Amino acid sequence: MDFTFTAEQEMLRDSLGKLLAQGYTFEQRKAIVRGDHAHSALIWNQLGEMGLLALPFAERNGGLGGSASDLVAISELLGRHLVVEPYAGSIVLGGGALALGGDAVRPLLDAVIAGTALVALAHEERHGIGTPSLLQTTLHDTAGTLQLTGEKRLVLAGAEAKALIVSARAGDRLALVKVDPTASGVTIADYTMIDGRRAATVRFADVAVAPADVLCADAAEPLQQIIATATLALCAEAVGAMAALLEMTSAYAGTRKQFGTPIGAFQVIAHRLADMKIAYTKAHALLLYTTALAETGAAAARDIALLKAQAGRLGRSIGESAVQIHGGIGMTDELPVGHYLKRILAVETMLGSTEYHLRLIGSSGQ
Amino acid sequence: MDIAFSPELEAFRREVAEFLDTAPTPEIREAGRKTTSVFAPFEAVMAWHKLLHARGWAAPAWPKQYGGTGWSVEQRYIFAEEYWRCDLPPLLPNGLQMVGPLLMELGSEEQKAKYLPGILAGEDYWTQGYSEPGAGSDLAALQCSAVADGDDYIINGQKIWTTLAHKANRMFMLVRTSTDGKKQQGISFLLLDRVDYPGMEIRPIIGLDGIPEQCEVFFDNVRVPQSARVGAENDGWSVAKALLKHERGGSANSPAMYRRLETIRAAASGAPSPHGGTLLDDPVFQRDLGELEAEVAAYAAFEKLVISRHPMAADPSIPSMNKVISSELTQRISVVMTRVAGVEALPLQHEALTVGSNVAPLGSDLELVAMPYYLNSRATTIYAGTNEVQRDLIARTLPTA
Repeated sequence: MDFTFTAEQEMLRDSLGKLLAQGYTFEQRKAIVRGDHAHSALIWNQLGEMGLLALPFAERNGGLGGSASDLVAISELLGRHLVVEPYAGSIVLGGGALALGGDAVRPLLDAVIAGTALVALAHEERHGIGTPSLLQTTLHDTAGTLQLTGEKRLVLAGAEAKALIVSARAGDRLALVKVDPTASGVTIADYTMIDGRRAATVRFADVAVAPADVLCADAAEPLQQIIATATLALCAEAVGAMAALLEMTSAYAGTRKQFGTPIGAFQVIAHRLADMKIAYTKAHALLLYTTALAETGAAAARDIALLKAQAGRLGRSIGESAVQIHGGIGMTDELPVGHYLKRILAVETMLGSTEYHLRLIGSSGQ
Repeated sequence: MDIAFSPELEAFRREVAEFLDTAPTPEIREAGRKTTSVFAPFEAVMAWHKLLHARGWAAPAWPKQYGGTGWSVEQRYIFAEEYWRCDLPPLLPNGLQMVGPLLMELGSEEQKAKYLPGILAGEDYWTQGYSEPGAGSDLAALQCSAVADGDDYIINGQKIWTTLAHKANRMFMLVRTSTDGKKQQGISFLLLDRVDYPGMEIRPIIGLDGIPEQCEVFFDNVRVPQSARVGAENDGWSVAKALLKHERGGSANSPAMYRRLETIRAAASGAPSPHGGTLLDDPVFQRDLGELEAEVAAYAAFEKLVISRHPMAADPSIPSMNKVISSELTQRISVVMTRVAGVEALPLQHEALTVGSNVAPLGSDLELVAMPYYLNSRATTIYAGTNEVQRDLIARTLPTA
């Protein structure tokens, strides 16, 4: 058993860490979030130059054939630096779904990998989707024309995407279809998420879909795989955020004085910090273990659910403790603490909430 | 990263499984089913220890030169998984995990030759004489004294929470040999060849579970040879700390927890929910069971990272984190067991719980053990350094600016 990153992965982490430490400070990030675009073209290009935009795609699709541990190695740092650029959205989810389309979509995929286009996966619905068979968006045949009807929520980078890949029920199957966001019947309302990412609600009112744009007519399995990979990446982001919170909170407790002594000297604070470290250690261990499973193709849906649930509940407890120990200053927008909490909350809520996954685990057998 | 088990390891798993499926006697299997503590029913588990020793498998974690198996960490984990699959009683930890490894590190050649074979073979059971009525979490406050007299020490005082002292034939203990300087500086570590020296009296203590697992031991001018000391006089505190360190090689507790979860799940599928249907179909129970399983999964990942020597394992707070996580998880599992048993957890069933009593339990095995296990498990967050002390130690390893 070996749960360590390779020397190459450590080098990649080192370079990415340096890039983000210099070019993605908390202040620089704030300016990006306040700006009009979903992301900084500068940083996106730099990630591209490091090969990260090509990393997760298979070599036959023009990618670098990166593994699960490659993705986790970098995603942990994206979380640590609160990166808002749509890596999970456009590369892992949108790109992963687009790549199912084969040669026909190759030019667009090349543009995604080159960093000149974004794509989005439109999957979540209503208050959050867990079980894909409950999707309400449908692809139906009306007088010989395929039409897409429904409403998708929390579409990451939805307003910036050149193409939307939409999950929909088609009879008793699940299909993934490519939709032009400018097509008739598509309405997009975009917003900034609590964690600084951009997302959108997208409505499809009888949108005509060409048969060639059905990327996958029986997509249940590939979709589950794409979501599993994205879950791994997002949980790695959450664990990166947890590490940052643990560090900054213990440092703060060592310097902040009340009643004439550093608050970390009070046993209630010390024990809360100890619980944060225990929670982080558990989340970190489960992330690396699940990554090693995924690396060999042995991660079952249940393993992904276990990780998602733990990253959410342990991350939330760390984030809430971090705010509490920082006191009033922890409540301010000025400090990164709350931004880390919000990154964790966003991860916890999307792709099936903690409670959804906990009940799934409990009802599904060992 | 690499997690795959090789075909050789799968062959090893079959070899282990075959032995564990056939070697234990019915009494040993009964003891496994009726284990409600870290300490399994004494006579049966010592008999099992001897059988495992005959196969060469009594001490998976010991180095080969002392009679250990020389197994890789993967092999040790597989052994633990198969062991728990069979519901076998865990070997008592005091000799194999505590005093044995300590002697390997700090004992004299004479002490090693004299004591290690008996520990390995399961001939000796060592009770631990650490705590005193006035020295629990603050162990260094201990007062039980040993005064040099010729080649001997004369011991006077009291020890408490000496587990199974009434079944033991040997004892390791901390005594005060000096009252000068800091309280940690006047402590010595002694090995007692017998627990029936003139002047020694052992009184069992009935626990919450109704079982006399713990004892008090009184010393009234008990004369023991000074050759029984490990390390230098007044240096027993560092000996005791070295003993604690032996946990750091890593544990394999999670397979036992997974086995408990399987038992819970099986029992819940047949247990009626007060809301109708089965407990396993109850959404609230599903959610809580899911959370418990997620916690066990995280702990299993933690154990695997530690035994595979991931850089994380070098963190000095690993033994304390391991203790806190495993003890609190044990308690949560025991709570869910009592929840599944419901009112069937309430009858006192001491006779049915006694190995060899031939008294049938009122209901299932889970219903028989759930409450004694829950009650006994209250001790897990108290013994071996309370979890409050462990959290102090963990907090001390955090960087402060």
